[in-house]
Amino acid sequence: MHLHYTPEQSAFRAEVRAWMEMHVPAEPLITLECREGYDQHVEWERTLAAGNWGMVTWPEEFGGRGLDLIQWLIFEEEYFRAGAPNRANQNGIFLLGPTIMEFGTEEQKQRFLTPMAKGEVVWAQAWSEPGAGSDMAAISSKAVRDGNQYVINGQKTWSSRAAFADWGFGIFRTDPDSKRHKGLTFILFDLNTPGITRRPIRQLHGETGFAELFFDDVRVPVENCLAGEGEGWNVAMATAGFERGLMLRSPGRFQATARRLIELYRRHQAEAAPSAREAVSQAWMAAQAYAYNTYSVAAKIIAGGKIGAEASLNKIFWSELDRSMHRTAMQLLGACAELKTFDDGSVNQWLEGYIFSLSGPIYAGSNEVQRNITAERLLGLPRVGAG
Amino acid sequence: MDFRFSEDQLALAESVREFLADTHGPQVLRHLDKDGPRDPNIWQGLVDMGLTGLMVPEEFGGLGLGLAEAALIAAECGRACLAEPLVDTAFVAVPWLLAKGETGQLAAILAGVCRIPLPHAINPWVADGDGAHLKSVDPLRILTKGTGGDDPHLLDLAALMSAAQLVGLADAMLAQAIEYAKIRTQFGQPIGAFQGLKHQLASCAVAIEFAKPVVWRAAQALQDEVPTRSIHVSHAKVAATDAATLTAETAIQVHGAMGYTYEVDLHFWMKRTWALSGAWGSRAFHLNRIDNAVLGDMLELGPQATFA
Ligand SMILES: Cc1cc2nc3c(=O)[nH]c(=O)nc-3n(C[C@H](O)[C@H](O)[C@H](O)COP(=O)(O)OP(=O)(O)OC[C@H]3O[C@@H](n4cnc5c(N)ncnc54)[C@H](O)[C@@H]3O)c2cc1C
Repeated sequence: MHLHYTPEQSAFRAEVRAWMEMHVPAEPLITLECREGYDQHVEWERTLAAGNWGMVTWPEEFGGRGLDLIQWLIFEEEYFRAGAPNRANQNGIFLLGPTIMEFGTEEQKQRFLTPMAKGEVVWAQAWSEPGAGSDMAAISSKAVRDGNQYVINGQKTWSSRAAFADWGFGIFRTDPDSKRHKGLTFILFDLNTPGITRRPIRQLHGETGFAELFFDDVRVPVENCLAGEGEGWNVAMATAGFERGLMLRSPGRFQATARRLIELYRRHQAEAAPSAREAVSQAWMAAQAYAYNTYSVAAKIIAGGKIGAEASLNKIFWSELDRSMHRTAMQLLGACAELKTFDDGSVNQWLEGYIFSLSGPIYAGSNEVQRNITAERLLGLPRVGAG
Repeated sequence: MDFRFSEDQLALAESVREFLADTHGPQVLRHLDKDGPRDPNIWQGLVDMGLTGLMVPEEFGGLGLGLAEAALIAAECGRACLAEPLVDTAFVAVPWLLAKGETGQLAAILAGVCRIPLPHAINPWVADGDGAHLKSVDPLRILTKGTGGDDPHLLDLAALMSAAQLVGLADAMLAQAIEYAKIRTQFGQPIGAFQGLKHQLASCAVAIEFAKPVVWRAAQALQDEVPTRSIHVSHAKVAATDAATLTAETAIQVHGAMGYTYEVDLHFWMKRTWALSGAWGSRAFHLNRIDNAVLGDMLELGPQATFA
């Protein structure tokens, strides 16, 4: 156990910090969840790419820097420290990218990874369906093989940023007689393909965060299938592992929130309840614990290990931490909590953050489902209905 | 930066775990409860394993290992609900004496003929000391009246090692609850198939998973003498106490009325949890140290300071 950064790692931190200080927009961008804000965020992706910061862990040939996970964690820490914008392409770079890296052909890697790292193609995840939420094996949208094409029919929903994004990655039933986990295939498609209708869905804050997708005889070439027909479930589980595990939510994000919360507490200390004091300290502690845990997981992976169902513990922890930190902030703000903008004209980011934090325990597999997975796969408890 | 125990460290902990599982099972706890809480044979076994010399420098014949290894093994002592005062003497007193440059007792500690009680102002008792006895809820603890000075390093060392034992206790209680949940059936199925219990047990697993690295980090911080080490020790104590308390309460709930009996072993671990949660600084004491550092302006914040 060695808990010190090397001089190279510290130098790398300084490099990222200096770049972020130069480039992060002084004014926060408009929310990613409307056209104008989306465009601003895509612009930011291009700025990042110009600095070669698109996805630092990827090999150089795919637009990355070939850095290790510790450097990635440092990058993320500095990213959130600088208050840099949310990643418009997070589902591409954090979920699909690693999946293509693991399952894609050379041709697919060449074709998809570099434009992703460069922020030229923004990806939406299209898994959920009206009848298949937590129970993803209930997917019924079909892709029927016709020569060297698939013909897709059906409906996807809750697809983040799909209202504006360029490409989607979905799971479709390619074997019409199959049930549940079998006969599913992971397919990549251009969202502008004829036959796709996007219907934006207004989220509770009023903006368009996600969209429904309707597929009406949509033709997609078979070479857009990832890892072979019928392999969809296995590939999706790997992607979900990236989502819940290390990639989607790195500790830097929550440590930055904890620091902002500490500053908020200091400003409201005089009128704060004693319970807020504990809640704020808890936020610091939990964000630190999340960082330690992530560094230990990263060390394991660097040494050749893998994460499996432990990713579920992670997902439960960060999502509940995020919600409790924002709840505490709302309590500290008191009567100002409901204001969308404060007196000084600044956006109440705690309110936006609190609303968003309520979705954390739902997306990426609800926390109830994560607790089921933890109980059954990590603790070895019997499945529901086991007699 | 490498937040991992080495293969050697893990193998050492594994061998201690196996040794204690073989020699210090629940039947031993019951024997100690009935016949008196200390047993020279058990102590001798620990001495023969070399554990009393774990932190004694090699020049004095010991293994010369550090606080990270000691914390890992203290967790094993918690898992086994070990009654002998190995942790106090070998993992707290030894590094404390070394820090003060006092080496006179090391040979005797190593040989197992000297145990060192640790009086401190933070506790209104002394464990394994001499004098009038106080009764603990934990039948295997020997407490005597007395208190001592307020040496901060001793406090940090002992609080850290309490935290390490607490995560081991939590692991053991979770394992007992899981075993019971698999075999007890009601409504025609194992109770462990009910989500109401699954989710509670999963929450314990989350709490333990995220308490352990805090303990290891605190051990390394003390070992490396980083300036913020006391804060990390307090963090470890709070996180371990919370994880163990949650797991204790969940474990008894999973056992139903059986959990409320003397017959089921769980109570030994629960009682040690209650004892160690309050020992060497209550939750409030440690939380206060964190509050003052984090909310006051005493601790550097920011990503570069995560491991400072
Ligand atoms: C902000 C946001 C962004 C999203 N982005 C995307 C996206 O980009 N792409 C995409 O494909 N999907 C996306 N989703 C959808 C998300 O994956 C689903 O919401 C999630 O899988 C839950 O499905 P559901 O909403 O149908 O809820 P349901 O499955 O209907 O669940 C409702 C409730 O029942 C509980 N429940 C269900 N099954 C069980 C069980 N077995 N045991 C115990 N409790 C259970 C759930 O935990 C939940 O509390 C997004 C969702 C949100 C909120």
